[in-house]
Parts: sequence; C-alpha cells; structure tokens
Amino acid sequence: MGEVLQYFVTGLSLGGIYALVALGFYVMWEATRAANFSHGDVYMFGAVLTVVLYGSGFPLLLAAALSVAACALGGALIERVLIRPFNREPNAIGWMLTTIAVGIVLESGTTIAYGTLGRPLPTALARQPLRFGGAGIYPQELLLPLAAVAAMVALEMFYRRTILGRAMRAVAFNPTVAGLMGINVRRIAAIAYAMAAAVAAVAGILIAPVVEATPSMGTLIGLKAFGVAIVAGISNARGVVAVGIAYGILEKFIEGYISTGARNAVGFTVMILMLLAFPQGLFGRKEVAKV
Amino acid sequence: MTPRRQFLAVLVLGLGFLTVFRLLEPTNYQIGLLMRCMILMIVTIGLNILIGHAGLVSLGQAALYGVGSYVAAWLALKAALPFLAAMGAGILATAFFGAALAYPTVRVRGVYLAVITIAFGLVFENILVEWLSVTGGTQGLIGIPRGRVFGVLLTRPIYFWVVSGCLIMAFIVQYTIIHSRYGRAMRATAQSENAARALGINVTNIRILAFVISAILAGLAGGLYTFLNLFVNYETFTFLHSVGFLLMVILGGTGTLLGPVVGTSALTYVVEVLQNVREWQVFAYGLLLALIMFVMPRGVVGSLEDAVRRFWTRRGGRESRAWPNRGAPLPDLLGARPSFEGPALEIRGLTLRFGGLTAVNAVSLCVEPGTVHALIGPNGAGKSSLLNLISGFYVPTEGEIIFDAKGIAGLPSHVLARRGIARTFQNTELFGQMTALENVLVGLHQHYRSTLVETLFRLPRWVREERRFLAQATQLLDFVGLSDYADEEARNLPFGHQRRLEIARALALRPRLLLLDEPAAGLTHGEIEDLTATIRLLTDHGVTVILVEHHVEMVMTISDHVTVLDYGEVIASGRAAAVQDDPRVIEAYFGTGGIDVRRPLAASVGG
Amino acid sequence: MNWDSSFPARRGLVALAMAALALATVAKPALAQKAEPCIAGSWELSGPLAHTGLAIRMGLEVAVDEINESGGVLGKKLRVIAYDDQGEPARAVDNTRRIGEKDNCIIMIGGARTPNALAIRPVLSEIGLPWMGVISAGTRVVEWETGTNEWMFRTSMKDRWVAPFLIEYALKRSKSGKIGMMYEATGWGQGAVPDVEAAAKARKIRLVGKETFNLADQDMSAQLIRLRDSGADALIFYSVDREANAVLKSMDRIGYKPVIVSAWGITGQLGQTAGPLAEGVLVAGTFAWTGDLSPRATKVWERIKTKFKLSTPGDLLLPSATANSYDAGYIIAEALKIAGDYDRTKLRDAFFKVRYEGIIAKYDPAFEKSMERHDAIIPSHYKMLTYHKGLLMTLEQTPYALKK
Repeated sequence: MGEVLQYFVTGLSLGGIYALVALGFYVMWEATRAANFSHGDVYMFGAVLTVVLYGSGFPLLLAAALSVAACALGGALIERVLIRPFNREPNAIGWMLTTIAVGIVLESGTTIAYGTLGRPLPTALARQPLRFGGAGIYPQELLLPLAAVAAMVALEMFYRRTILGRAMRAVAFNPTVAGLMGINVRRIAAIAYAMAAAVAAVAGILIAPVVEATPSMGTLIGLKAFGVAIVAGISNARGVVAVGIAYGILEKFIEGYISTGARNAVGFTVMILMLLAFPQGLFGRKEVAKV
Repeated sequence: MTPRRQFLAVLVLGLGFLTVFRLLEPTNYQIGLLMRCMILMIVTIGLNILIGHAGLVSLGQAALYGVGSYVAAWLALKAALPFLAAMGAGILATAFFGAALAYPTVRVRGVYLAVITIAFGLVFENILVEWLSVTGGTQGLIGIPRGRVFGVLLTRPIYFWVVSGCLIMAFIVQYTIIHSRYGRAMRATAQSENAARALGINVTNIRILAFVISAILAGLAGGLYTFLNLFVNYETFTFLHSVGFLLMVILGGTGTLLGPVVGTSALTYVVEVLQNVREWQVFAYGLLLALIMFVMPRGVVGSLEDAVRRFWTRRGGRESRAWPNRGAPLPDLLGARPSFEGPALEIRGLTLRFGGLTAVNAVSLCVEPGTVHALIGPNGAGKSSLLNLISGFYVPTEGEIIFDAKGIAGLPSHVLARRGIARTFQNTELFGQMTALENVLVGLHQHYRSTLVETLFRLPRWVREERRFLAQATQLLDFVGLSDYADEEARNLPFGHQRRLEIARALALRPRLLLLDEPAAGLTHGEIEDLTATIRLLTDHGVTVILVEHHVEMVMTISDHVTVLDYGEVIASGRAAAVQDDPRVIEAYFGTGGIDVRRPLAASVGG
Repeated sequence: MNWDSSFPARRGLVALAMAALALATVAKPALAQKAEPCIAGSWELSGPLAHTGLAIRMGLEVAVDEINESGGVLGKKLRVIAYDDQGEPARAVDNTRRIGEKDNCIIMIGGARTPNALAIRPVLSEIGLPWMGVISAGTRVVEWETGTNEWMFRTSMKDRWVAPFLIEYALKRSKSGKIGMMYEATGWGQGAVPDVEAAAKARKIRLVGKETFNLADQDMSAQLIRLRDSGADALIFYSVDREANAVLKSMDRIGYKPVIVSAWGITGQLGQTAGPLAEGVLVAGTFAWTGDLSPRATKVWERIKTKFKLSTPGDLLLPSATANSYDAGYIIAEALKIAGDYDRTKLRDAFFKVRYEGIIAKYDPAFEKSMERHDAIIPSHYKMLTYHKGLLMTLEQTPYALKK
C-alpha cells in the first residue's frame, strides 16, 4: 500500500512540472499556432539563474523574482526574433528549427558558464520530508501540482475576466479578424510568450531545491510536456493540467510496476496511441473545415 | 539544359570527383570521413523527398537510420548472416516502420506528426538502452564481422565503392521519383490535399509511399554504416541527430535535387572544423543552425535557384489566348466514355447534419446526361455542401446518391474521381507552387498504367506515357488559352487565369460529371461569356455539368435545369424560366417586401 | 519550385563548390614513421560529463608543464591536445584516427566513458597507437575478451578490482549482511554488474537486490522501496552526481538509510548539493587532495590552483581523475626516456620497464606483460574516501573510519 501511495505522490509532483511547462505550450500555441520547442530549457534557465543569483548573495525571493522576470523577457524576445519571421505560412515549420537552435545554444552556453554539476538551493520546505502511510515527500514538491492548479485557475480568470485575456482568446481564434478589430496581435503574441516563459521558470525554481539545477535538466521535460500538451488537445487549460499530472503519475507507476527503463518507451508509446485515437487531442475541439 | 541533362552532368561530375579523390591517396581517416558523409547523404536524400515533396516533417529519421543499422548489426553478429542478407533485412525492417509512421498522417498533420516522429525516436532510443540482451544496452554491439559479398572481403578501399554505388543509386531514385507522377502527386498532396483527392489521388497511399521510400533509404544507410564502423551504439541515433538530418536538408535546400548532397557535405565539413573549438562545439553548432535559418532559409541550392530564376525570367509578358479554343481536340482529351443509361446522377432524400445544424435536408433531384444542371439559392442554402456530398468530401447522414446506376454515398473523393466525377472549388485550390502544366499533369495522374518500377527505371512504357500525357496536358492548357503560362507557377497567375487552369485540370480527369463551384465568382463580364461558351462546348461533347452559381444571368442562359435550395431544402426545381417566376424562389432571394421585382428579372434574361 | 526549367549555371557552381570543399580536406597523408611530441585526448568536454574532461586536463597539463620546465623529453617539449567527443563512441573513433593519422601524436589519452574506450580498440590496434586511460574503469578496456591487447594501458581503477574493494567495505559495515546494488543504466553501470556479482560470490554472498535507474531521473523511490523491502542495509552504488543526489533525496523521502559504498562516479560537488544527506557516504578512489598532503602533492595542488583559478582543494571535484592523469603524464615521460625516441612501438615496449614514484603510488613496475597488468594502479593502492561536512576526504581523516 505504501508503494502505491509513494508512486502517487511523487507522480503528483512530477506531473506538476509537466503541467506547468505544458501550460506554457498551450498559451504560446493559442497565440501563434507555434511554440518555443525548447521551452524545457526556459524551465532549466529559471532554475539555474536563481541558483546563481542566490549563490552570489541575493536573497532567495529576490533571486527567484529576477529570474522569472529575465525568463519572461527572454520568452518575448524569442517570439519576436525566432517565431514571428518563421511562422508566416499556415504550415510553416521554420520556427521549430530556430527554437531548437536557441535551445542548443542555451543549454551548451549554460554548461560552459555554469558547469555540469548542480548547485544547492536550500529552502525550508525541502529540508524534511513529510512521511505518511509508508510514503514520503518533501513539502516543496507538493508546491508543484498546487502551482499548476493555481496557474490554471489564474489563466482561466485572466482569459475570461480581463480585456487583455479576451483579446488573447480572440487572437487564438482568428488572428486576422482580431487584428481588424484593433487588437495589436504582435503585442499579444509577445505577452503570451512572456507569460509562458514565466510559468516555466517558476516550475524550475520550485523544483530546484529538491532536484539539482543542472543545464541538462530541461530537454526531456520540455519534449514530454509538449507531447502532453498535444495529447491534451492544447486547447484548454484544464485538459492540459489534467493530462500533465496524469502523465507524471503514469510514469511513476510504470517505473514501479514494469521497470524504470521502460518509462520513456511505454510513456511515449501511450502518447502516440492517444494521438492516434484522438487526433484532435483528448479535450480538443474537432474543427470542421469548410471545403 | 533540361533537368535530365543536368542530372546526368551531376552524376558524371560526382563520379569524377570520387575517382580523383581516390587517386590522391587519402589517409584512412579521410576515406572514412567521406564514406560517412556519403552514408548520411543517403539518409538526407530520403528525408528530402519526405519533407521537400510530400511536405511531411519527420524528426525521427535518426531512429529509422538506427533500425536499419541495429537490425543489420544484430543479424551479422549474432545470427552470422552474410552482408547482403543482413542489409536486406535491415532495409525491410525500416520500411515496415516507415509505413507504420505514415499511418498517423491519415489523422494528424504538421506539428502533431512531428511530435509522433519525435516520440517514435525517443521510444527507439529507450529500447536500445534498455534491451540489454539484444541491443547491448549503452555499450551497443561491437565486433561486427566485416561484410563479404560473393567471397570478396569488403575492406575499406572496396567498401568505398560499395557506398558510392549506393549513394549514386539513391540519387538516381530521388531524380526518377521527383520527376514523375509520384513526385507530382506528393507535391500536390502537400499543397492542397482536397484538390489532390478530387483528382483521384489516394492521399494516404502517396504519403505511405513517401515515408517508405525515405525509410528504405535510411535503412540502407544504416546497414552501410554498420559494416563501415563494425560497431553500433545508441548515441549515433539520438534526437539531436534527427535534428541534424533536418538541418542538412534545409541547409542544402528543401526539395532541390542537389540540396541533400550539398547540405550534408557542408555540415560534415563544418563539424570537422568545429572540432577545433572543443567545448564550444555544440554551442557553435546551435548558432550555425540559427544563422542558416535567418540567412538562407531556402538553403544553399534553393537560394542559388532563386537567384538564377530571377536572372532567367522571361522578358516580355505572357499572353493568354481566347478560350475555349475550339481548335483543341476535345474528344481525344475527354476520352471515350460509355454513355449513361438513364440519369447521370440521382439524389434521393439526401440529408446532412453537423451536430445541431442541418445543412442539407431531404434533398432529391435528378440530373440528365449531357445537360447543365444549376444549383442556386441564397448564401448558406447548402449548395456547396451538396457538391461536397456528391464529390465525396462529406458523408451524408441519410439518403442516397446514385451515379450511373450505382450508389456512391459515402465513398471517398479519390474513388469518385476515378469513376469520372471531377470538380472545381469555390476558393480555387490550385497547387500554387507547381507550374500550370504540372497542375494539369496531376489531373492526368490516374490515367497512367506504368508501375512504380517502370517509373524508377524509366522503362519504355513509362517514357511513352509521360510523353503522351505531357502532350495532352499542353493541349488542355491550349484549350483554355493558357499555353503561354505553361511554366509559370500557379500562384502567380491572375485570378481569372487561375479559374481557367482549375477547369483545365478538372478536364484532365476525363470526367463524365463535372461539378463547378461558383466558377464565375470574381470573373469579368467577358470572362463569364467565355466560361459560358466553354461549358456549352463541354456539354456538347457529352460531359454532364452541375453548376453552383450566384450569377443569375449566367444561370438562366446556360442551364437546362435549375434547382433552388434554401435552408438546405429544395424549394423549386424545373426549367430556368419556370423557376425564376416561382414566388417561393423570389421570397427566398428577396423576401416578402411587396416590391415587384419579377419584371427586371425577366427583362434581364430577355424574357 | 519549378521542375521543368533549366538552370545550367547552378549545377556547375555547386558541383565545383562541393569538390573544393572535399578536396580541401584531402591534405597530404602524414608519414607514420616518426611521431609528434603531442599527447592528445578524446574527452567529454561538453555535455553532462564535461567535468570529467576538465579534471583530466588539470592533472595532465600540470604534469606536462612541469616536465617541459625541466627541459622536456628527449630534447622536445610535449604538448597536450584536447578533442571533444561529447561522449559519443562514433566521435571517439573519429578522434582516434585524427590523433593517430592526422596529428600523428605519440600517444592518446582516454576519457571517462567505457563504451568509447571499447569502440576504439580495433582502431588503436590498426594504427598502432598507444593509449593511456585515466578514468574509464571498465574491465574489458584492457582485458580484451577476444584477441590480445597490445596498445592500451591504464592509470586508473579497474572495475573488476573495484568491486571486491567495495564489497569488502560493505560487508564490514552491514549489520544484516544483506547487500544490494543500485547502478545507472549506462555502459559503466551495466558493465559493472558482473564484476560486483563475481566479487559477492567470492565472499560467499549474493546480492539481495539489483536496481537500475536512468540518467535524468529525478526520483528513485520505486527502486529503493524494492531494495528496502529486500532487507538490504548496505548498497553498492554506481552513479554520477546528479542521479546520486536524486537517490539520496529519494532515500530521505521514504526514510531508508542504508550504508552506501560507491564507485567513484560521484564527485566532491555532491557534498554541496546533497548536504547532510551525503554524510558518511563512502566513495572508492585513488587519491584525495583534501586533508594532509605530501610535500610534492602540495606543490602540484598549488600549480593546479593557480593555472585553473581554483580556491580550495574541495574544488577538485574528481580528485582521483586529476591525480591519475598527473601520474600518467609522468609515466609516459619516463617511458619515452627509456624508449629513447618518439616512436610508438618503442614507447609501447618501454612501458613495461617503467619504475616510478608518483603521487598516488610507487609503480614498481608500472606495467607487466599480462593484459591484467596493463593497469598501473593495483588494489593495494586504492583508497576509500567519504563525505564529511560537505567535503570529500580520506576515510582516516573523518569520524567514519572504523575502529580497529
């Protein structure tokens, strides 16, 4: 019984990471029908920058805040420089390569500057694990699924209640018409990317006290989160968060009951099968296009 | 220089280069480098066909390369299979996975497909690392015996020519596929899937073909790699390597013939040079990737092509001729078809519902052969939906469609196209980046009898057919007065010309039933007269036409029978004069307002 | 894209460019008689194990500097060339050919990854290039299972000898006598399993559990739960830092605290990142730079510190690797002197005559003809280190040494 509980809670924390990073993909995709393929490296950079700032003497919260701000700025910059010029046609894929490129540069640059070995980020919530029913978890880790749900709620309220949010939804639906209504589509896109980057950075910062911040921590997480977003249908926040958390739990159970090695193979196979069964994603809207 | 002569020139140059290279007595290191480069070229040639022509982005090509490599390695090492058998098995296995990867394209496209290929690659990597007993885990398989063909040991100097031979073969296959109806069909599918379907192309099959070809080449390359290195390790087949292949294709020039060769050699050379910057290697690689995307998104060869094209564009404008060109041999072009017994098309109680919306409601009508049957009605009446139902783009919720005494409701569009139902689209769905001539050639796609093998090896039947259909395509262009525009890209044509081209393309199908979806929209008065004359000429030659139109004048002039739809229902059907006086029709168009508009309507039609 | 029009100029241009590119790489083949005084390595300089490449360079380059300052070897100054293979065996093979044929160096230095070392075995034999390993500890690297190893030597640990070393310490500290194993799913980890099992068998015990984990895993609770349930209270551990940190944290979560006896993949940095959780974790190694050093080692440390801008000995994250490469540099120099010429075959033969006292041990002789003794460092030279107060130091200098 203890193990099932353990897999569940660690899966919850891992799923929280996937959910937060996948939410970022959702926001970016809705705004531009494209995304930063190396979003996982933004997650990494948020963690690494915080660790570096903290190590140079900044207080923890200030380091985190500066880090999130830097990542948000970076996200907007990526949209402007790497996405917009390469996303003009409906089926353009240039943005995939430019963002993969920036990911390579970011990861290798960080490796050279920061080194390959992790550095500590001590926080109160990562010191002592909570133990219950034969399972244990650091309170810090529970922050992640909580943050994912909070982000999802905030996002929904933002989209529904604020003018900027509604403008974003209009752009998601039909950028041309939104532009004709006076919405500055370009600014919306930049803001969307900044938001996505900020959320990813938060995820990285939240988990860094438990898992070391290393330059290679982001790549696989990013790829999986992208898959999660696509499988969820990338068209509503709740679905993305639900699938993200579910995938984290699924991975842990695979590790526990099949084998740790099988985790990626089985997980990705499940993803492929889901996409084949639900080509619009689990919660996606089936679009009937006019012929 | 025709494409054929250019291709032959490149082959000769390439062989010459390889010979000179060997004569310079290079070190084993250099031979090995060139061999590996050539093997990678085989992969990128396959990927080029997939991306540049079929428009399918694969980020898992390294995994396919790996399948070929590991299968050959395992069979050679553990089952002591000889070189040819091991390679063959590797290629078969890869072809299987290639076909498997193509299947999702039935349902997903673009980024979704890319995600599936990435997932495939990661699953493969994972299996390589975990399945210790078979794949050797992270250590891989080492100590693979050198290949032997007919008793000759494949040492490095001899193997060099084996690899070169395979590369030349791959290069030839690329050429023969691209310059054939298969290549045209791939490009057509990528540019307008709907139009391709409407011309009888089985879109899924053509995509599977593209994937399988790219997989076979990747599998071949994988096997060659195994017998070059004599060890295989999972690190060679990671996601980053799939990205590398994509980069090579793009750097060379997606869709160009020489692109894969140039891109692969440039990138291999660059990686060699980057070795000198040690730990900055990967960083520089990423920067290079970004730089290439900014500066040369069309790749080296693509940019060169663009520059040359700008230099070589025709001086002087093109002229369109009058249409229809009554000198064109229409009976030959339309082919001999059996005549209909009974009505050409019969629709009974056809209903189409989308969720809560009923687009077509219990529609029944009857189209006599050789006539023009018009469908009119206000916007949203269901006219286009009806056309889509007839041409197989929608599946009806209820009812029957009977074409030539056989039920066709629910059959897919490409099947209907092959049975002789052609159509044009409301928003012209031309293959924008293909020339006018190529557009029409796609229409002739399914009249070919030559097989893939005959196409690949340019056997006599293929040569005859290609020549004949090229002539027919030219004649069809001539028929609509566009022969001057034969080598102009369809997207550059003025709007009216695009409409003409779409008709010529539809006629290439040799249709018995032609569906025209608002063909007059956006045309000038003169063009509409030409269109009317064309339609009449077609019906004179036995083609049955169903016409959806808003131009009431045109409809009344040319139609033998008019059906009026409103809110998805038939509200009137009969001869043109009778319909236009029908009070229900007037109400549908103009509403009840008490204004007597019948007189102007009658006046304009000359009644 | 226009498929049926003609662009004559393009074809020629591109073909010419391609030819020029490739011909540029066809330089004059190097004459293989006399070798150059360069010591070249194919190391991991970028990627997750980049710190290994750096650790090797630190020891080797300081050794070469010292040797050059006293006049070099045979009248020539040695130089060190570093190539990045990113941990990929295929690139390692490339680099081997580069080093052997293009640069024509007298000897090649190995890196951290065992699969890379295994992949280049046939190439080294083909070219006739001596190779000195300084980290990769896989047994098969020098003890070939088929054929004879004539060119590969190593100044580092050997997994087949490390395993009994680890088992012995584990047995001494286990209360229940039940020992388990946790290893990473890499060539190193997977390759070590037969060695550890053989060592256990030699001590008449069986491992009660073997669990593996992948690189980048963040949580190993599933595996640890199984090990805990099997009753293991001592674990043989094969991992590198990042995963080791995750393992320690996972153990903390489930409240499982076995004795950990680790092979030397983990570095001093773990003391920082895992903090108190790393206390008392044992790590096998060849050398520690913390604590009391011999006068010579102190001098070497001072040079490393200056050259690579470090501040404390704790900054040497892979202490054994740095010491290994330092001693290796001197062993090579000694062998060259005995060989009397920059000739690879003569160098190879001279290795068996080297007697030298390095900072790790007294090599007397460094190597012997049997493949087993192509390893210079023997089990009696092995040391056990442990983490104390965030630093990696020799066991004797900490409270964790067992009282005799």
